[in-house]
Amino acid sequence: MPAMSDQSLGVPKDEFLRFVREALGREDVPPAQPYPRLTDSTTDLEQQALEIRQKIQQNLPALLDKLADMAQKGGWNVFRAAGAEEAVGYLQDLARKSDLSAVVRSAQGVFDQVPVDAALTSMGLKVTTVLRDEANPRESLREEIRRSGMGITGADFALAETGSVIVLPRKGLSRLVSVVPPVHVALVRPEDVLESMDDLFLLRRLEYHQQGGEMGSYLNFITGPSRTADIEMTIVEGVHGPKEVHMIILG
Amino acid sequence: MPEIKTSDFSAASTKAIADPKLRRALDRVASGFHVARLQRIEEATPQVWDGWKTQAREIKAHTIEHLDYYLDLLYKNVTAAGGQLHFANDAKQANDIVSHIVRTRNIKIATKSKSMVSEELGLNPVLESLGVEVWETDLGEYIIQLAEETPSHLVAPALHKSKEDVAELFTEKLGIPYDEDIYHMAATARTVLRDKFMQADLGISGANFVVAETGTLVIITNEGNGRLCTSAPRVHIGITGMEKVIPSMQDLSIFLRLLPQSATGQRITSYVSMTTGPRRSDDEDGPEEFHLILVDNGRSRMLADPALREALYCIRCGACLNICPVYARIGGHAYGWVYPGPIGAVVSPMLVGLPQAKELPQASSLCGACREVCPVNIDIPRMLLDLRKKTAESPDRAQRSAPKSERMMARLYAKLMSSPRLLHWAVRSGRTLQRLEHLVPFSPVTKGGKWIKKAPLPLLSRWTRSRDLPVLPNKTFHELWDQGIADRPSDARDV
Repeated sequence: MPAMSDQSLGVPKDEFLRFVREALGREDVPPAQPYPRLTDSTTDLEQQALEIRQKIQQNLPALLDKLADMAQKGGWNVFRAAGAEEAVGYLQDLARKSDLSAVVRSAQGVFDQVPVDAALTSMGLKVTTVLRDEANPRESLREEIRRSGMGITGADFALAETGSVIVLPRKGLSRLVSVVPPVHVALVRPEDVLESMDDLFLLRRLEYHQQGGEMGSYLNFITGPSRTADIEMTIVEGVHGPKEVHMIILG
Repeated sequence: MPEIKTSDFSAASTKAIADPKLRRALDRVASGFHVARLQRIEEATPQVWDGWKTQAREIKAHTIEHLDYYLDLLYKNVTAAGGQLHFANDAKQANDIVSHIVRTRNIKIATKSKSMVSEELGLNPVLESLGVEVWETDLGEYIIQLAEETPSHLVAPALHKSKEDVAELFTEKLGIPYDEDIYHMAATARTVLRDKFMQADLGISGANFVVAETGTLVIITNEGNGRLCTSAPRVHIGITGMEKVIPSMQDLSIFLRLLPQSATGQRITSYVSMTTGPRRSDDEDGPEEFHLILVDNGRSRMLADPALREALYCIRCGACLNICPVYARIGGHAYGWVYPGPIGAVVSPMLVGLPQAKELPQASSLCGACREVCPVNIDIPRMLLDLRKKTAESPDRAQRSAPKSERMMARLYAKLMSSPRLLHWAVRSGRTLQRLEHLVPFSPVTKGGKWIKKAPLPLLSRWTRSRDLPVLPNKTFHELWDQGIADRPSDARDV
C-alpha cells in the first residue's frame, strides 16, 4: 500500500464543510449575527479582567472562606495555614501518617514560600522535584513519580465556585504529579483564588489573545479525589488517581 | 459499526422486564443519580437552573445553525496549536484514519478513556485486528470490555452488572480469587491498568466539548483515567461527533455546570481535562502528536431535518435515561444500539436508519419527563412523535410501523368519532352489552370491576393486552348535562 500522508486522511475539509452546508440548506456565509464573544477585542477582555481582579480584591476573605467550603464539599481535606510554618507542619504530620518514603513535587513559585524540601528530607524522605534536565530525563522522572507516595503541587488558580485547583502547563509541572501518587497535596496562595469558572475562562481567553493565539497544551481542573461509582453505584475513592487529596490554603 | 439489534426491540424489552436482577440495578440508578440531581437544582435555585438551560440551548442552537463556520474555525485553531483535525463521513473512514496513525506510528498498546463515539464506530475490534492491545480504562468500560458486552447507560456503562457478576468476571478473566468487595475490585482495576497507562503508545479519548476559538478538546471524568490517557502516551487521538463544537472557551462554564449536575448530581467531576495540541517543548509531559477526528456517521441526516436537528444539542448527560419510566424497566441493552433511553430512541433511528429502528420511537409513554430534565431543553417527545409519523407515513408500506389491522381500527375510530349519531349508537349498544356482561359471574371483559381488562374480538383485545380501559359510564356527558351535571358528579363513574 502506498504511504498515505496524514493530510489526505478522511474527507478533505472543504468537502466535509460543503456536506454540512448542504444539510443546513445554507450558502457559505459566516453567522449572520456574529457570536458576541468571538468579536471581543483584547482591550475589551483586558477591561473585564481588570474588573474581575478588583472584585476579587474587595472580597478576598469571603472568597477564601467559600473556596474552603466548596473544596471540602468536593472531597478535599482542607487546611487553612496561617503561614508557611503551619503549612510545613501539616505536611510533616501527613507524611508521618501516610507511611511513605518518597515524595515528588512540581517546580512552582509557591515552593519558594513554603520550604517543603528541607522539612521532608529532615524526616528521612526522598523529595524529587519533577524538572527535566540532562541528569533527569522524562523516563526516570516518570519512574520516580510512580514510586512516590505523595505528590505536591501549587495551583495556578483555585476556584471558589467549585473548590477546584487549576493547573496549567509550565516547565517543572507534570500533570502526573497530581494524578499518579496515592496522595496529592495542593498549596494554594490567596492570590490564586478566583470566584468562578466564568472568571477563569475570561482570563485564559485574554492570555490566549495576548500570546498571539497560544493556549498552552492543557488546562486541568482537580476537584477532590479520584472516584468511581461504576459497580452498583457505590462510590470508591482512588481508582486511577489519588485516594486522598489535601488543599492547604495559605491564608 | 457494532452489530445493530434495534429491530429486536420488542423481544429484547419483554425479556428485560422479566429480569429481576436488572430491575434491582435500574432502581439504584433512579434513586442515585436522579435524587442527587434534584438536590443540585435546589442548591442553584430552580430559577438560576432554568436560566442556565436557556443559555446552554442558545449556544448549542447558534453553533449547530452555523456548524460549517465553527468547524472551519476549529480546524484553523487545532492546526495552529500543532494538532491535526481529520473529518470522517462514516465509521469506516474514521476507523481507517485511526488505523493509518496506528500503522505509521508503530503503535502497540492503546489506552482508551470512555468514548461513546468509538462504541458507535466499533473501533476496538479494528485496532485488535491490527495487533494493537486495547485497554478500556474507565472502570465501567473495562468491565464491559472484559465481559465482551456493550454499555447499557451513557455515563454508567456497567450498571446492569451486579458486584457478584463483576467478581466472577474478574476471577474468570484475570485469574484472581473470587472477591466481591467493591473496593478490592476497583483496586484490582487500578493495579492492572496502572502499568498500561505507562506503557501505552497511544491514548484515545472522546470529547465532551471542543472549543472552536482555541482548538481545545474538553473531557470530564471522575476516575482520572482520562487525564492519564491524554498525558502519558506519545500519541493522543480524540474522536467525537461533529456536533460537539462550541464557539469560545467562555461558553464552557455553563456546560461544566449543567453536565455533571444533570448526569450524576455532582457539582463538578473530579477532573476536567482540557488539551490544546501536543506538548510544547517546555512541557514536562504530554503527547508528541495530537489528532482530533470528527465524525458525521449519520449526523448530517439530523442536521438536514429541521424537526430533528435539536437532537444534535445533546450533551450526553443521561438525565433522560435516569428519569424515563421505559428505560427504568428495560435498561439500555434492549434499545439494541449504542445510545439508549429517550435520546437514544431519537438518535439511533437517525444514525442506523429509521426502517431498522422504527420500534424505538414507540418506546415512550410521551410523559414528557425527559423534556423536563434535559439540560438543553431538547423536546424529545416531539421528536419521537415526528419519527412515529415518518414511519406511519412511509411510502414503503412494509416499513410502516402499524399492522394493517391497527390501521383499519384507526379508520373505523375516525368514522365513529366524526359522526355524533354513530357514536351515540355505539355507546348505547356498548352499554347494553356491558350490562348483560355484568350478569355473568367472573365476567370475561371487566372481571366485574370498573375497568375493561380484556376487550372482546381479537382486534380489540390486542389493544387491551397491555392497557385497561375504563368501563362505559351509565350516562354520557351529554345525558348528565341535560340533567344538570353539577348536582350529580358521582353519577359519572357509577356502573
